[in-house]
Amino acid sequence: MDSSITSDQSAQPVLAIANNPHGHENHGSEEHDHAGNSMFGFIVFLLSESVIFLSFFAGYAMIKLTTPDWLPPGVEGLDVNAPTINTIVLVSSSFVIYFAERALKQNKLIQFRLLWLLTMGMGTYFLVGQAIEWSELQFGLTSGVYGGLFYLLTGFHGLHVLIGILLQGVMLGRSLIPNNYAGGHVGVDETSLFWHFVDVIWIVLFCLIYLWQ
Amino acid sequence: MTNAPIETLSTAVEALKPELPPGWRRYFSFSTDHKVIGIQYLVTSFVFFLIGGLLSMVMRAELITPESDLLDRSLYNSMFTMHGTIMIFLWIFPSLVGLANYLVPLMIGARDMAFPRLNAAAFWMVPVFGILLMSSYFLPGGTAQAGWWSYPPVSTQNPTGNLITGEVVWILAVAISGVSSIMGAVNFVTTIVRMRAPGMTYFRMPAYVWAVLSAQLIQLAALPALTAGAVMLLFDAVAGTAFFDPERGGNPVLFQHFFWFYSHPAVYVMALPAFGIFSEILPVYARKPLFGYKVVAVSSLLISLVSVLVWVHHMYASGTPGWMRMLFMFSTMLVAVPTGVKVFAWTATVWRGKLRLDTPMLFCLGAIMMFVFAGITGVMLASVPVDIHVNNTYFVVGHFHYIVYGTITMAMFGALYHWFPKITGRMYYEGLGKLHFILAFVGTNLCFLPMHLAGLHGMVRRVSSYDPEFAFSNVLASLGGFLLGMSTLPFILNMVGAWVQGKQAPDNPWRAIGLEWLVSSPPPVENFEELPVVVSGPYGYGKSEPLVSNEAALKPH
Amino acid sequence: MNVKTILLLVFLVSVALLVSLWMGQQAYSWLPIQASAESKLIDDLFSFLVVLGSFIFLGITGTLLYAMLTQRVSRFDISDGPPIEGSVTLEVVWTVIPVLLVMWIAGYSYQVYQQMAVRGPMDVVHMHMGTPSAYAAAADAEPVEEIEVLAKQWAWAFHYPGQNVTTSELHLPVDRRVRLSMTSEDVIHGFYIPAFRLKQDILPKRSIEFEFTPVREGKYRLNNSQFSGTYSAIMQADVLVESPDQYSQWLASAAAGDRVPAYNPAYTEYNTRQEKGIRPGWPTIKPAAPPLVNQG
Repeated sequence: MDSSITSDQSAQPVLAIANNPHGHENHGSEEHDHAGNSMFGFIVFLLSESVIFLSFFAGYAMIKLTTPDWLPPGVEGLDVNAPTINTIVLVSSSFVIYFAERALKQNKLIQFRLLWLLTMGMGTYFLVGQAIEWSELQFGLTSGVYGGLFYLLTGFHGLHVLIGILLQGVMLGRSLIPNNYAGGHVGVDETSLFWHFVDVIWIVLFCLIYLWQ
Repeated sequence: MTNAPIETLSTAVEALKPELPPGWRRYFSFSTDHKVIGIQYLVTSFVFFLIGGLLSMVMRAELITPESDLLDRSLYNSMFTMHGTIMIFLWIFPSLVGLANYLVPLMIGARDMAFPRLNAAAFWMVPVFGILLMSSYFLPGGTAQAGWWSYPPVSTQNPTGNLITGEVVWILAVAISGVSSIMGAVNFVTTIVRMRAPGMTYFRMPAYVWAVLSAQLIQLAALPALTAGAVMLLFDAVAGTAFFDPERGGNPVLFQHFFWFYSHPAVYVMALPAFGIFSEILPVYARKPLFGYKVVAVSSLLISLVSVLVWVHHMYASGTPGWMRMLFMFSTMLVAVPTGVKVFAWTATVWRGKLRLDTPMLFCLGAIMMFVFAGITGVMLASVPVDIHVNNTYFVVGHFHYIVYGTITMAMFGALYHWFPKITGRMYYEGLGKLHFILAFVGTNLCFLPMHLAGLHGMVRRVSSYDPEFAFSNVLASLGGFLLGMSTLPFILNMVGAWVQGKQAPDNPWRAIGLEWLVSSPPPVENFEELPVVVSGPYGYGKSEPLVSNEAALKPH
Repeated sequence: MNVKTILLLVFLVSVALLVSLWMGQQAYSWLPIQASAESKLIDDLFSFLVVLGSFIFLGITGTLLYAMLTQRVSRFDISDGPPIEGSVTLEVVWTVIPVLLVMWIAGYSYQVYQQMAVRGPMDVVHMHMGTPSAYAAAADAEPVEEIEVLAKQWAWAFHYPGQNVTTSELHLPVDRRVRLSMTSEDVIHGFYIPAFRLKQDILPKRSIEFEFTPVREGKYRLNNSQFSGTYSAIMQADVLVESPDQYSQWLASAAAGDRVPAYNPAYTEYNTRQEKGIRPGWPTIKPAAPPLVNQG
């Protein structure tokens, strides 16, 4: 049905197309900034993803302001101390990852890997802290609308933290491949951006759930 | 190379050929070619169109008499739920995305989309969630039966007590659909923003590309709200949470806000590409530029913007406060303005043109007329006092079917006929095309116009039985519905027959102006031998400016 | 543009206007009988929208059809049309006029809504917090008949608190304002009487107040406008608007009668279906027991 693409072309374009399904080598005048496209797409994706959280925030606020049964019986409020420490750790890890990125740009691979690993550690600390907080709470997912909202919001966010840590793990593994950054480091940039995104979401969440009680 | 015998040379060349499956197998593979993916979307969505259509035929058969005498009520409720869900998520969205997938890279002078593998992954989710949704027929409790809106608390009622209900499957299917859509939206926006050919500024892009961009921006901004609502609904259904359960502090109206915050803009996601199709096709068959192209382009973005500010007009009767109803009435009426501007632009494009009433043109003109009618009933619905009377009646059903069938589906048919030669390399049969148009146009009006009358008289929607006073409207509507069903037959015959043995199509059978018409029919895998260098705006009919500076270099040899 | 064209245009516009006005008159016949004070307001608004809509529809489709009939060229004419790319004047005109039209429509609708609100608010006012009705102060000295409405899957029950009467038929006195206090036992239902042009969703565990004035004696239909499950379609009731005498008579005799379960189509259908050996459909929520109503 489709006209054959290679039937009457010389061997050179055939080789080029076989190597790369889009045969870019054959068309020297084109430049495809794949890394730029990738980053652009990722930013667009993150903007869209933030709308899910914004929707949850709006839902939380709407219910808090209008429901007759807000806190479950026997629950006075949330302890703010441990979560505050967790917050400080998580937000600081954004700075750490920033320095890690800087180290990579300056080609200091060992420093990059160490700071990267530290970021992962801080993220893990946050998650563990959250898990401990969860286990000590007096209410569950089904404890009225408050329980549902609390666990849904913090859980959804925690899931994103976990994904962030896993992505960082993958990047760390890749950093051990020799010459990995010859073509640029858009993967590291995107993972880093994702981490900042996760942090900003947490700041809003923290204010909404812990400070506005 | 020179010493090798001829046989080994050819096998060497053969071995170097790309791994494209020959013929039809390509369309069942994980191809990353946007043209293949586009066709995969179109064919898959059409299969679901037929399934959704079959459901509606059965529904109209039930409704041709006032009593509930054909189906058990639970089955009927399942039918309208699945009909709506399938038509929206498995026909309209995928078919429009498929068409855009095929056309956008060609129209902007790119070789493919920005993320070809993401593109393929997004497509393959469609048959997956389609089959998932259909599988709910085999559950002991049956499919979801709460309408395509799935309002709680009725949607979370669970007579069987099972964990996996039709409703749960419905939510999962819609969630996967959402993921696929977001992947597509990221792809389209990145492609359009970053991969236009040299010389193609934003105001040299075809209006269709503007429309796709605007539509995909809406998806990115609004779809996640539905995701949030769906996640909460799922939790209510399976995990015992109380987000929408008034007994335990939840608020069912909150779901409605989440749902409509997306689903209203969603109708523009569906309508904008149809508008884009009109903007592309009318100039070709009127041999005249699109009137006010820049204004039409910007109006697409304006519609996107305003469309996220009108959602409460679906909730006028839900117990929303008066100030909210008034606010959203004003914003809803406002969105009629950029839409009206487009209609005037199309009319002005046709006026004093040299018309050829080929099938694509007939579909577009018929669709525009039906759209004007739907727009008028839309403004009526925007008015709170009128909507209090007709909300949730057949008036609304009639209104939106004039949009989804009368405007969008007819536009899609027009597009399929218009670009059929480019996509398949064959010409379709014009006689069958005109027959399809006449049957579809008559069928649409006969089916959906009487619904307005029934609604005004008070017939509510989602009912398998009704008071006898509505019988006349329903008989007409059912006859129209059956006619619509039959109108699909000449279309299928045409598409299949022409694809298999139609006349070979030239590169540009319509003498249209556009980058896609400068390459062969069908285009080669890489689209362009050399990337086009664009030197003028679109729709240069009546002027003798070339579109590109390197036309000869776009095709091989 | 020459004189002949202008005259022709004036003629066509006049014809379109006359047809539109005629359509506006016809619009009243597309609506049910006007049985409430609110219905007259809404019908006038609807008729106005039909006139406007018809005019626009005739204008655009007329233009398109005229073009389709007179501007066709043969297959062998390969020339292009005139390269008209736009006109700023036209763009301004056909943006400004729709904006003005839309503002006119919105303003008129707002007015109608305000008048209806004076006749009866439809907001959710009885929220949990126990704040009094926002319209309490605005209420006239006019006497108001207060009736409670209970919706459940799948029956309507009307309770007259003064006489402690419960019925499955809504009786109303003519020319007297009615205030309904509505709640649902389970899911969202929709209270809709087409003849009154009034509709309100009823939320579970919330009480919604709703006022209107029936102005015409007769028998009308109450439908369930918000899909509420398997037998949603047959969750209907009759509405009887009676003269004040008939009304009080009925109320008195109902108060004196015993309470029996009402005839409930959903309940009946469900039981018939359960009795059948073969199940024709999927499992459904069991309907609530029919309400106990006073025989009147």
